[in-house]
Amino acid sequence: MTPAAPRVAGDTHVGKVRTANEDSMIVEPSIGLYAVLDGMGGANAGDVASQTARDALREVIAQQRLHMQPKQLVEAAIQGACAAVNAAAQADRARHGMGTTVVACLQIDPSHVVIAHVGDSRCYLLRGQRLQSLTRDHTIVEELVDRGLLSAEEAERHPYKNVLSRNLGAKPETRVDLLDLDLKQGDRLLLCSDGLYGYASAEAIQYLLGSGDPPEQVARDLIDLALRGGGGDNVSVIVIEGPPVAPSSTQVVRTSGAVAWWGRRQRFLQVARERGLTQNPICRGLEPDEALEVVALSLCEAIYHDLEKSTGVNVWTFAQNLAGGWFDRSGEWSALRGLVDILAMSARVVVDEIRGTDASLGFLLDVAVSRALVVAELALGGLLADRLRAIDADLIRLHGAMQETIEAELPPEDTGSKFIDTPTIPFLRADRPVTSSGISAELVGGIEKTLTIARARTAPRATLVRDILAALESIACDDSGNFAQAVLSARELYGVRPVDDAGIMPLFDALDQARIITCASVHQISATDLLRAKVLRAISAAHQRLVGAMTGLVLEAVAPISDRLREAQQQTSELRDQVARAERKRAELERKFASTIDQSQPWDKRGTTEW
Amino acid sequence: MSTATPLAVAYDGLRPKILQRLLDLRSTLDPSLGRLDEPTARAQIGAVLDHVGNFLTTGDLGLHRAFLHTFLAMRAAEAQGPAAVLAMLVAIGDTAAQVAQEEAATTPTGADLALMLTRVTASTARALNDLIAEELERRLGQWAELSRRERRGAPPS
Repeated sequence: MTPAAPRVAGDTHVGKVRTANEDSMIVEPSIGLYAVLDGMGGANAGDVASQTARDALREVIAQQRLHMQPKQLVEAAIQGACAAVNAAAQADRARHGMGTTVVACLQIDPSHVVIAHVGDSRCYLLRGQRLQSLTRDHTIVEELVDRGLLSAEEAERHPYKNVLSRNLGAKPETRVDLLDLDLKQGDRLLLCSDGLYGYASAEAIQYLLGSGDPPEQVARDLIDLALRGGGGDNVSVIVIEGPPVAPSSTQVVRTSGAVAWWGRRQRFLQVARERGLTQNPICRGLEPDEALEVVALSLCEAIYHDLEKSTGVNVWTFAQNLAGGWFDRSGEWSALRGLVDILAMSARVVVDEIRGTDASLGFLLDVAVSRALVVAELALGGLLADRLRAIDADLIRLHGAMQETIEAELPPEDTGSKFIDTPTIPFLRADRPVTSSGISAELVGGIEKTLTIARARTAPRATLVRDILAALESIACDDSGNFAQAVLSARELYGVRPVDDAGIMPLFDALDQARIITCASVHQISATDLLRAKVLRAISAAHQRLVGAMTGLVLEAVAPISDRLREAQQQTSELRDQVARAERKRAELERKFASTIDQSQPWDKRGTTEW
Repeated sequence: MSTATPLAVAYDGLRPKILQRLLDLRSTLDPSLGRLDEPTARAQIGAVLDHVGNFLTTGDLGLHRAFLHTFLAMRAAEAQGPAAVLAMLVAIGDTAAQVAQEEAATTPTGADLALMLTRVTASTARALNDLIAEELERRLGQWAELSRRERRGAPPS
């Protein structure tokens, strides 16, 4: 029975009415004893009773605590106190009839206590923010209620509701109520005299006890509460904390972890020096101490700040600056890898040493430092990927430039036929006959008039629409019987365009506008309805041919990309199948391999199979 | 000689939970994983988790490196850059460690497994960076060769 020292605090006050404080307290963490005693009796006998009981109680516990079971010990101590008060009362007529209440808590270990009480001093338990009384007042009225002779309502109004049925001192012996209690994390116990609960509501007590403030503060606040409630009696409180709530691993690392790490910074620098940090090419030109300070101490500091704030931003920045500076100097990866490895190994040595002295803290630091190394690698990976992307772009540019040079130097190919004669896609065949049978001069005149009006209706800046109207005139008036004019016009209009929304969509928008304008313009020419109908049909046919030719060009432009995409999709699909097969095979091999490895070796020394 | 370490056994027990967590979080881990349907994502993440289990058992850095090489190539074929691959593998490792940490209160090996998974993630990030650096080295060589040819006016091979 070696009591631990919990966080505990007691406070007492005479109150606003009484002239003397007849309460007494015991707050003795060394023997695990806490008690509140509320004395009674005239002529200053109350304080004598409570002090006599207090001294007797403390003496018995201190002397017998190693020889008796806790419950028996407390009971024996209280009986001893009762006998002492009774004896004192008998010895002095002026103190005849004095007595005292007692509520005591004997702590056996951080999570186990024995509660004992006589009279109306109380013990409360706050658990999960709920306050509950662990004691039942020893008053005549309460005992009548217990026996079923009085209802709770009647008890509340009973004139003798404060008259005690039991106390220490009235007789040489008394009956003691005892309770074994297992405390849970976050529990709080409150021992108090009736000067508290008689002048403060249970809700207010619960609020203060559950505030999370330190016990000293809570004890002061409870006294103030009773005083604000009238302070008609002496008031005494003792606040005892149960086992503290285990801090989260993050909190531990943030506080003691960061401190422990920073406290070993010299050791970190020493290990880094021993492992050759100062000889690394990155540190060339720096004095050894300077190199340690610039590189190792900077990382040490970054890890410290990250531990303290639970972030990775400092280590990230450190790694980025270190690697960025080295890459800017065209430094080699191997030097950077070597330096990072030295720092990582040095950190592990320090963490292992901390684990040797404080296993749980070392463990949490191990996780945190491993995490810091991951963050550093992420920063390095980002820089490497950036460089890879840049060199890829350079390679593509360089390769493209060389290809252009080669193509320019090659003799021009004899194509024989023009682009428009080359069959590309079925509906662009040059020999496809025109469905109309010739074109009259009257019709040509009508077409020209219509398109003149259409051009006049077109905004001056809509050059693409105007070009399309010109193209429509050429196509509609062409009587060659094939699509040549449409394809030629489409070629001119298409020009050089990117195959995307910005390149293609304006073209088709302009085609649509041209169609709308020409349809409207047909009705404005002076001609018969029959001629207007022929003009409209000719222009519509020309528009269709132009749109068809334009679509063909777009399809032709995207054809190589589509083919490559299709091929790439097929290759990716095959590659994925192969990878899946390889992965299954690998998993089987690894399982076989796993069954034959030597488990006695450390995890990271079991193999270095090169694949 | 045993067939599996206690940590590997503990990992196998947690694997379904880790996989489910990763599937739930996949759109935040990696946009391309987020676009995949669940069976495909399950297969891809499952392959990584299988490998982690094997690596926990063997501790074989050669096998680990080979797996990462294949994984990088596979993701590159899907237009996934190396930095994104690194971030994704770290996110998978972190999630696995977090699940193990959450189980630490109820399983005796949970905390040790969380530490081991964090170390595996660190090994993964280190090995992946080495692979990216090697690729970078190769491309720098190609660039130097092309530049030399361009100066000489020779066609690219």
